[in-house]
Amino acid sequence: MRLIHLKLAARNVRRQPHRTIALGGAVAFSALVMALISGFVNGMDLAVQDNVTLYSGGHVLVSGYTASWSGRLQNRFADDAVANIVEGTGGGIRTVSPLAQSRATVVFGTREIQLTLRGVDWSKDQLYHDSLILTRGDWKGLEGARTMLMSAQTADRFGLAVGDQVVVRLTTASGQQNVTDYKVAAIYDDGAAGGMNTAFVAFGDLAADLNMKSNEQQAIAVFLKNSTDAEKAAQSIVAALSAKGFTVSRGSSTGAGASNAGSPNAGSSDAAASGAAATQDSSITAPAFQGAGAWGAQQGANRRLAPGTAVYRISTVQELAGEIGSALGSIRWIGYAVFLLMLIVSATGISNSYRMVLLERTKEIGMLRCIGYKKKDVFSSFIAEGILLAGGAALVGILLALPIGFGIGLIPFNPHGDFGAALVRGHLRFAPTAGQLLLILVFVTIVAIAAVFLPARKAAEVVPVEALRKTA
Amino acid sequence: MADIRGVKVRFSHARLTSKLSIVLFGLVLVFSARAQGGPPPGGGGGGGGPGGGIGLPLNFLQADKDYKFPDDITKYTATDFLMLVRRTDIRSSFYKSDMSATISMVTVSPDRGTQTFKQQIFRRDKDDAFLMITLEPESRKGQGMLRVDNNMWRYDPTSRKFTHTTLKDTYENSTVTNNDFRRWQRSIDYSVEKLSTGMLGNYKVIIGELKANNDEVPFPYIKMYIESERKIVLKVEEYSLSMKLLRTAYYTQYVQIGDSFVPTVQIFQDGLIPEKRSQVTYTNISTKPLPDYYFTKEYLERVSQ
Repeated sequence: MRLIHLKLAARNVRRQPHRTIALGGAVAFSALVMALISGFVNGMDLAVQDNVTLYSGGHVLVSGYTASWSGRLQNRFADDAVANIVEGTGGGIRTVSPLAQSRATVVFGTREIQLTLRGVDWSKDQLYHDSLILTRGDWKGLEGARTMLMSAQTADRFGLAVGDQVVVRLTTASGQQNVTDYKVAAIYDDGAAGGMNTAFVAFGDLAADLNMKSNEQQAIAVFLKNSTDAEKAAQSIVAALSAKGFTVSRGSSTGAGASNAGSPNAGSSDAAASGAAATQDSSITAPAFQGAGAWGAQQGANRRLAPGTAVYRISTVQELAGEIGSALGSIRWIGYAVFLLMLIVSATGISNSYRMVLLERTKEIGMLRCIGYKKKDVFSSFIAEGILLAGGAALVGILLALPIGFGIGLIPFNPHGDFGAALVRGHLRFAPTAGQLLLILVFVTIVAIAAVFLPARKAAEVVPVEALRKTA
Repeated sequence: MADIRGVKVRFSHARLTSKLSIVLFGLVLVFSARAQGGPPPGGGGGGGGPGGGIGLPLNFLQADKDYKFPDDITKYTATDFLMLVRRTDIRSSFYKSDMSATISMVTVSPDRGTQTFKQQIFRRDKDDAFLMITLEPESRKGQGMLRVDNNMWRYDPTSRKFTHTTLKDTYENSTVTNNDFRRWQRSIDYSVEKLSTGMLGNYKVIIGELKANNDEVPFPYIKMYIESERKIVLKVEEYSLSMKLLRTAYYTQYVQIGDSFVPTVQIFQDGLIPEKRSQVTYTNISTKPLPDYYFTKEYLERVSQ
């Protein structure tokens, strides 16, 4: 294709502006829709990962389960070596902190609510200090003994203010009932945290409530410098722990995170989002843990484990986000399907239009052939016209998608709704990648070339004398 | 002669094989018992023995028969009280027969208001098994719960799925736990810490403060009020690990069926929200034998439709 072909194509595109606008508009709209879908699904993907990191407490979680005197697995372990091994797995780790978690009933007056209670070592925490926005109270207040950081949603529902005392009912790591008191020291904006309603307390306080010894913990939360390194970090941790003889399994569980309150395969309504388990059972028997890969297969035949036996499960934020991620995957595929349909409609329109163009320009083609234009020049001119029209329209569509996408991102949505976990501070995040946008552009152009191909070949086959005779 | 010797050798081989078989059979029995959950700590022997049941110590039922309780309630020792608890455990349960009954449940909660439920329960206390099917309300009709072999499932006929549940889970967010539908076995789970006497209404009661024998019993501490005259439990207070009152159970009506005294009206009041309470009433109690297939998932699935 030479410059002359492009010049001729550009002249032809300009020559019939109405037709160009109609055809280009359809193509531009397809590209716009696809760019919007890609951008929003990408943004939701990232938002889900960020929110799940908040829900689960880290990018990689190492949960430990120890068999009790009766052989039942309890979500607790007391091996400092594990933390040291995890910390020693290398670069990319920002913080490694102990985690404890329980499904608890918080009682205030005659009202009660079930929520996830997480114990965080505030002295080591960076994740929540960086991510949560306190609407009332401050971080300093949380340094006091038996203080609680509560979500605004829960506080508003209870009419709670900073300084109020609440009663917390929970199940200990071994399965006993316990009741303790906490003072609300701060309230965070849950709308800015994907609608999360987890309440936070000091790790030491929760560990004591769960009747765990001072050297025990339920999980280790690894907070990485870059969340995309989670899988790599998890593999390193598995390798390091396995090398030291620990029984380790991979994969997420709905009860992932550090939940004393559930079996690793127990389900929960908000577990997918929060990584928290809902069941009140605090301990599990070996078969309930069978999903744990090789270990499960090995131990499946045994009902109970030898007392003191510890097993570990490593999960990443991507695995924990899996359920929501798969929902987003569906949206992405629906987007592709809509895009494909639009492209087929546009391609049919382009193809038909160029058949008409061929009839309209038969005399012109004949003239061009008479003054020395070759078959391939005619063919190239048609193809160039298609590329200019579709490529230009796709480019316009993609460029238009950017302000529209960022504009939609300004609209506030309900963070407690079904897609709360896919929102960032109550807003959709529009995050298209250059690669995806380029792909849309290239794909639209290729489809346009394919649509113009047949009319272009027919145009190239026009016999000059016949064309002139017919149109004379 | 050689033939005789050969027969003798074969005979001694057969005897050896027979003895080995008995030993092996014994080992299989022991391991089977352990596989089924084994004895609770401090429980003594394994479950499943004569006169026992799943999870029950050996002689659990026999030892109770000849026990002589002091006439004066102030003379009760910890052992006497534990035996008294054992008697209430045995008499509130049906170890010699099966039991079926209709349960009416009314729950009151400040959040949810008043709710009523009706269930049919089938119990086999010697195996610590029960099957419960919801009859009312219509929206929950067919939902069921099955406890067998130390496992417990909840069945939802809509999704046709079994989900694992535990004895300490609450029933429909009420103050009733799944454990309340099962046989009593407080004398196995607890040991006596302190004793006193007092009056509960018009009744003379012995008040025993008990502590759980292990850290897997849901309520670490309980206080039992047992009427000395009829040897029945009137009230039980359940405490958390931090010694806060979690729940009070009142057993206000008993019915005698054979050797058993069944608490037919049970009231459970929440310790943290006293306005939250439930009343469970047993009616149409029958001790007719139940077929084994009642305590299977297949039957629950079938009967729920």
